[in-house]
This record gives sequence, C-alpha cells and structure tokens, in this order.
Amino acid sequence: MSEPKKNAKMTVFKTDRHEDMAAMFFVTILVLSVLIYMAYIVPTIVLKAPMDGKMVAVTVQPEAQVKKGDLLYSLEIKEKKYVHDTLEEKLVVKEIRAKTNGKILSISAKPGDNVKKDKNEILVLKHEKGTLP
Amino acid sequence: MEEKHGMAKVIAIIPGLAFMVFTLYLLRTYVEPWMTTAVVFGQKGWFVQVLHLNYILLAIIAGMLYRNLLWAGKIPGWAEEGFRTTRLFIKSGVMMLGSLYTIQSLAKVGGVAIALIMSFVFGTILFVMYYGRVQKMDRSLIGVMAAACGVCGVSAAIATTPAVRAKPADVALAIATVLGFGIASMFISPFIGHMLHLSDYQFGAWVGTGILNSGQVLATCLAYNPTIAPGTAVAYGEIWNVVRVISIPFVVFFITMWYWRAEAEAEHITLVGIIKDKFPVFIIGFFAMTALSSLGMLGAEGSSTIQLMRTVMSWIFGLGLVGQGAYIDIRELKAAGGAPLKVGLAAGLIKYALALVVVLLFVSKETNF
Repeated sequence: MSEPKKNAKMTVFKTDRHEDMAAMFFVTILVLSVLIYMAYIVPTIVLKAPMDGKMVAVTVQPEAQVKKGDLLYSLEIKEKKYVHDTLEEKLVVKEIRAKTNGKILSISAKPGDNVKKDKNEILVLKHEKGTLP
Repeated sequence: MEEKHGMAKVIAIIPGLAFMVFTLYLLRTYVEPWMTTAVVFGQKGWFVQVLHLNYILLAIIAGMLYRNLLWAGKIPGWAEEGFRTTRLFIKSGVMMLGSLYTIQSLAKVGGVAIALIMSFVFGTILFVMYYGRVQKMDRSLIGVMAAACGVCGVSAAIATTPAVRAKPADVALAIATVLGFGIASMFISPFIGHMLHLSDYQFGAWVGTGILNSGQVLATCLAYNPTIAPGTAVAYGEIWNVVRVISIPFVVFFITMWYWRAEAEAEHITLVGIIKDKFPVFIIGFFAMTALSSLGMLGAEGSSTIQLMRTVMSWIFGLGLVGQGAYIDIRELKAAGGAPLKVGLAAGLIKYALALVVVLLFVSKETNF
C-alpha cells in the first residue's frame, strides 16, 4: 500500500513504520539515560513528602545505613477511596520504606510536622552506586 | 517544499522543535503557576478550579493559536519540520506509559477494555455502513468514514484508503469530520466528567472508548487529572487506547472485506498482509515497558527514579500536544460538510453518549488496579 500525501505531511519520517521504530529508539535512549543518571550520576537524593499529611514517626537516624525495604518514617494521610461507589475519606498511617540501600545523611522533618506533597523535605539519602533510588 | 535528507533534515527540525520546547517551558514555568494563584471573579485559582486548565490544555491551545492566529493557518517553513515531530512524541509518550502498569494489572483491566472497545468499534462501523447507505453515500466514502469513526480518525482512515479506493478528498473529509468532533470532545469531556463526579477509572474508560485519536485521548485524560501514575485517568484511558490501536489492522481487514463483496475487480489483500504492513509496532514498545516495570527494572513505585521518568514523560506529552494543537487548522475543519458530516456526527455523538451511559451503568468507580 502506498503512503498517502496527507500522512507524509505530518511526519519527518518516510513511513509510519519508520516513525514507530524511531519512537522505540528514542524511548530506549530516554529510559537508559534516566536509569544511568539515577544509578551512577546522582549521588544523593532528597526525599520529599509523597503526599500531604502529618509526620507520625521517623524511624531512622542520621548516618544510619538502610537497606531496601527498611521503614524510614510514617505519615498520617487522608485517604480517599470509593466504597460501594461512594467516595469515603479516612485517616490512615502510611509507612514509607527505603527504595534502595544507602546511608541517611540528614533528616529535616520530625513527628508532628505537617508536610505538603513534593514541597517539604523529609530526609537526604546517599544511595549505593548502581541502584535505583 | 524540497525534501531534505540526513543532517540537513536534522538541522531543519531544530528551529520548530526549539520553539515547541520554549512554548512548553513558558507554559509550565510561568503560565500554569500564575493560573493557580490568579484571582478572577473574586476566586483564587479560577482558571484551574472552574476552567480546569492545566499545562496539557494550554499546550494544545497555544499550538492552535500559533497556527490559526499567529501564522494565519499554515505552519511557517522554518518551523514545519520541527512540528512534524509531533507524532513521534505522542508515540514515545504512549510507549512510556507502559511503565505505569504491571502485567497483572493489565490483565485485570484489559478484559473490560477489550469487551468495551470491540463492541463499540464494530458497532460504530456497522452503524456508519447502514446510515451511510441511507444517506446515499459512495461505498468508498462509507468505508473510510467507517474506519475513521469506528477506530481511529487518522490512522485507520489512511490505512483503509487504498483498499476501498477512496479519493484523497474523501479521506480529508472523513478526517476533518472526525477530528473536529474529537477536538470538541477533548475540551468538553473534562467538564462532563467533573459534573458527573466520574472516578479516574470511569473517566478513562469513557474517554478511551468515545474518543478516536491517541493524542486526544491522552490530552483529555491529562486535562481531567494531570497526574501521571498508576490509578489515574491517563493510566486507565491508555489501556483502552492501546486496545483500540491494536484493533486497527483487523478493522481495516473487515472494511476491506465488506467493500470487496460488491467490487469483484477490487485489489485483494490478506489479513496477514494488512497486519504485516499496518500493525502499529510502537505498541510493542508499550508492552516492553510494562514487562520492564513488572520486573522492577525501572525502579520501585514511589522512587525518585520513577518520579524522574514521569517528569520526562510529562514533557514528552507536552511537546507532542503543542504540536497536536498546531495541526488543528480551523479552515480545514470547515471542509467537513454534507452527508459525511451528518454520518460522522451521528456516529460520533451516539458512540460518545452511549459509552458514557455504559460506563455509568456498568463500570464501578473503583478498581483493584
């Protein structure tokens, strides 16, 4: 089947198949760049509040070594959930665990603090090289 | 315009692409934050709270304004090649969305998506075939309209064209009608969704079934909820979109078969041939991302790596949608008219409304995704 002119106008590629292959190549490069950057180039990461809430407890200390899955802190949040098609809100305590092995460099939040999603810094972690923090 | 090759082509892409990046940068860095605090009619954040504007809708609107106001209907030569990367970004974004799922979660929601999409796709095709005959439309035009209204405004219409021997003008007419409908629904759907208090799952299911273009499905879902994460409107809508895109070769085959019944001398093509030629292979990338995510190779959910991946994704979508907006030519949409417009609008509206009714009646607000 020949490619109609209309199609050729909307792409820089010869055919849709070429465009698909280019998109696959582009995504591969992007994903690899993100993974290599996070695993090998970024030495420390600042963990910010993953959602709005109130700090309940911080279970790690500065300079402590943590392993993937270790409890870092817990946060009281308002959870919205549909129960029988009705939106219900309730307070739940969410446990935040380490996503990778590493060392805690500093902790900025303390129990009782109100934190905002992506705004308030909780702790700084130096992760093991080659792991994805 | 003279066809460029190699490095010359890459260089030709840069000005338009840089302009798209700059536009998106301005929208995300200055315009969107300003809108969240701006007081209009005595209400703080009126643009966001009432108009539900976010960088996604702004990107499309900016693209439309460039083309239709600033550039008087035609993308200028210096920016043309850059704007032609639009579909590359949309396809790349769709592929990266595969990382929002695991194989188990896809299997859980995939069954509902396949059932809904298949009934609506083939239901619409049969309706267009019937109503097109009532309107005394040419069989070629019916074939293209059926593909455009049934499965995908642009890709399927173009893929069906040679098999049903449609005239370029017919294809343009079908595409204009369906895209015009899609653009309207892209801006209206978030309002309807908020009005009916649809959950992200219901909204994704509705829009994924009722809207016919990958870019428009993405834009509408992100306009409803700009968060890119599992359990959000875009995560659900995309499953429906992927099922629809996969069905394109089968729809082309079905319509071609229908056309042949009355055209003995028509060119004969096999299903294998159509799949080989027209299968959207970028979908393989989507499933590859799902496989990597299932194996935990992209980082844990909630990790900084995943967050960075999603920030990259949001920029990819934003770029694609500035371009998508710039491909909306109001004058081209005026080309839609006559019987094709009647058939296209009837099919589009029925599908859009019926999908909403089905979702409200049979799709629960919450899923264990």
